[in-house]
Amino acid sequence: MHKRYTAGIDSGSTYTKALILDSEFRIRGQALACTGFRLAETAGRLYEQALEQAGLRAEEVDYVVATGFGRHIVAFSDAHVTDLTASARGAIYLFPQTRTILDVGGQTMKASRLDEIGRVKSFRLNDKCAAGTGAFLEKTARYMGFSTEEIGPLVATSKEAVPISGVCAVFAESEVINHLSLGAAPADIMHGALCSLVGRSVQLMKRVHMEPEFTLIGGLLRFETMARVVRDSLKAEVNVPEGDMVQFTAALGAAILGHHRLRKLEAAERAAGRKESLYEPGHHRQNAGWKGA
Amino acid sequence: MKPVVFDEWRNKTIEEVLYECREMLEDASFPTVRRWREGGGLVVGHFQVAFPEEIVHAAGLLPVKVRGAQVEAVQADSRFGSYLCSIIKTSLELALSGRLELEMFVTHPICDAARNLAAVWGRNFDYPCQILYLPQNANSGYAAAYLRGEYDRLKRSVEAIADAEITDEALRRSIAVYNENRRLIRDLYAIKRELPWLVSADEAYALVAVGGLIPREEHNELLKAALPMISNRDARPQDRVRVVFEGGFCEQPPLDFIRAISRSCYVVDDDLLIGLRWIIEDVTEEGDPLMNLARAYLEKSSYSPVQHDLRKPKEKMLLFRLRASKAEAAIITAAKMCEPGLEEQVAYTRALDAEGIPYFVGEFEENMTSFDHMEIQLETFVENILFS
Repeated sequence: MHKRYTAGIDSGSTYTKALILDSEFRIRGQALACTGFRLAETAGRLYEQALEQAGLRAEEVDYVVATGFGRHIVAFSDAHVTDLTASARGAIYLFPQTRTILDVGGQTMKASRLDEIGRVKSFRLNDKCAAGTGAFLEKTARYMGFSTEEIGPLVATSKEAVPISGVCAVFAESEVINHLSLGAAPADIMHGALCSLVGRSVQLMKRVHMEPEFTLIGGLLRFETMARVVRDSLKAEVNVPEGDMVQFTAALGAAILGHHRLRKLEAAERAAGRKESLYEPGHHRQNAGWKGA
Repeated sequence: MKPVVFDEWRNKTIEEVLYECREMLEDASFPTVRRWREGGGLVVGHFQVAFPEEIVHAAGLLPVKVRGAQVEAVQADSRFGSYLCSIIKTSLELALSGRLELEMFVTHPICDAARNLAAVWGRNFDYPCQILYLPQNANSGYAAAYLRGEYDRLKRSVEAIADAEITDEALRRSIAVYNENRRLIRDLYAIKRELPWLVSADEAYALVAVGGLIPREEHNELLKAALPMISNRDARPQDRVRVVFEGGFCEQPPLDFIRAISRSCYVVDDDLLIGLRWIIEDVTEEGDPLMNLARAYLEKSSYSPVQHDLRKPKEKMLLFRLRASKAEAAIITAAKMCEPGLEEQVAYTRALDAEGIPYFVGEFEENMTSFDHMEIQLETFVENILFS
């Protein structure tokens, strides 16, 4: 039997992630980079990198699922799903008891509640602007002369968070300048910004009637302090995928959904009495019913 | 010599052609009608749904489909109650604001609001505004003869505007032009049905809808140029749910609404602007042209919630449309405040439930500007079909 491969492409507003998954749900390749302004190009480039890491050619991948902000423009995908669905499938695979997900990305923040098989029962998104998302932290860091990658180490040195009243990336500048002029340490200001963001996240989780277990994903969770502040705020344990998987959870979920879809197509073809195997790479693209005439 | 009113699309790529069609369609100043009038032409506006444009065409006039627009009903709001649909108000607004100048307006008794439209319209303008009374009982043995009489009455009204007789020969020529148009639109829908990744629902809609604004000879030229380019498009099929869209027979959803649906599904058939595709076969070109048109309306026609024909129960017709297009699901919508559309949803959803066909129920308004909520609901619906 031919091994099947699927790919999940998460075209996020800030970062794009590509991941290749085999039939045993082993990750064979993955790649990540800033999305930039050419979404389709970035997705294509990262897919190629992930394929190279997996030692595969594009024709050997049976099904590609796109998700994220730019999911509609990933031209080489077979299907696309919302990031809510993809994240839910990824989170429930990593932590099967997950019932509530908090996903804090570069420009979006989402809270969703799941049922026991990973279907989204309720969800809330942040408002149209990037208030309370990664962009807010990035701006705050930049006002103080720090890069995005320095946020984590900076916050780790904080002794006490300086209260930041809002999460608006625009108004943050004047507040940061005020605190700096009053002699506050940048680390404490950054910590305060993070606490402010977490406060907003928890509000969002309350609106979906959160239930444990809680799983935290998204680019911001690569800063360890973020998970700690959320845990303290919820007064409950939280799941955080290891390493860079916090950023790849949606891509992983998309790839898992690809395998689900392949199995469904295979079952449909079996029911239709076809003898050919669907396990031939890309076979479904030629023979499955959805191809049309 | 008739002026060419829409030539922006000529010598362009298919993407540019579609862009020009969309631009023309969304331009509420009706450039094609203005150009026609500047060339000395006269215009007859007809409200949704079906109308025998051949009669107006045979007189050398431009028939224009009046289907509302994305405009604010500043003046028309005072003529109609807030409980009525938007298309009634925006259609009248087009005339009251001077965007759409006509020599004659015709509406149909498809609903109470549409029937009243002629009287309200007529109080504001000197030109004839009348109702074309399509047969309420399509199953009567006298329906065709009755409808022929109505068409004859319409013909005489148009002759008075044109100040010229409409000969049978001219009618036959017009029928031939429209038959060609119907064939080309059927070809476009065949592509939608068989190779839906080559043309999205909003693209096909723009190509069809622009026909209601230009002479059919021009529309035929446009379609003859566009269809081969669409067929040769290098597009990759995706694993999308094939759906039938219902609810666009009168008030039209915004193009962005249709585009949002297209991003998640393949819309393989629909009832959008069904009046332009009401007659589904060629109209006989020999013999009495008015009788041929009347018979075609009754015997060779599609279905909609505003025509009552016992031979065509709407829910059965929907199931037929789903099967004929190999659709797996239906999108059942209605315009806000549209009584016929909302009433039919009950029958549609019961029939779909009985057949176990998944469906998505929605509502739209021509002036809506936010589609995010609908799109995320629709994507969730599609994901349930694909992955559950």
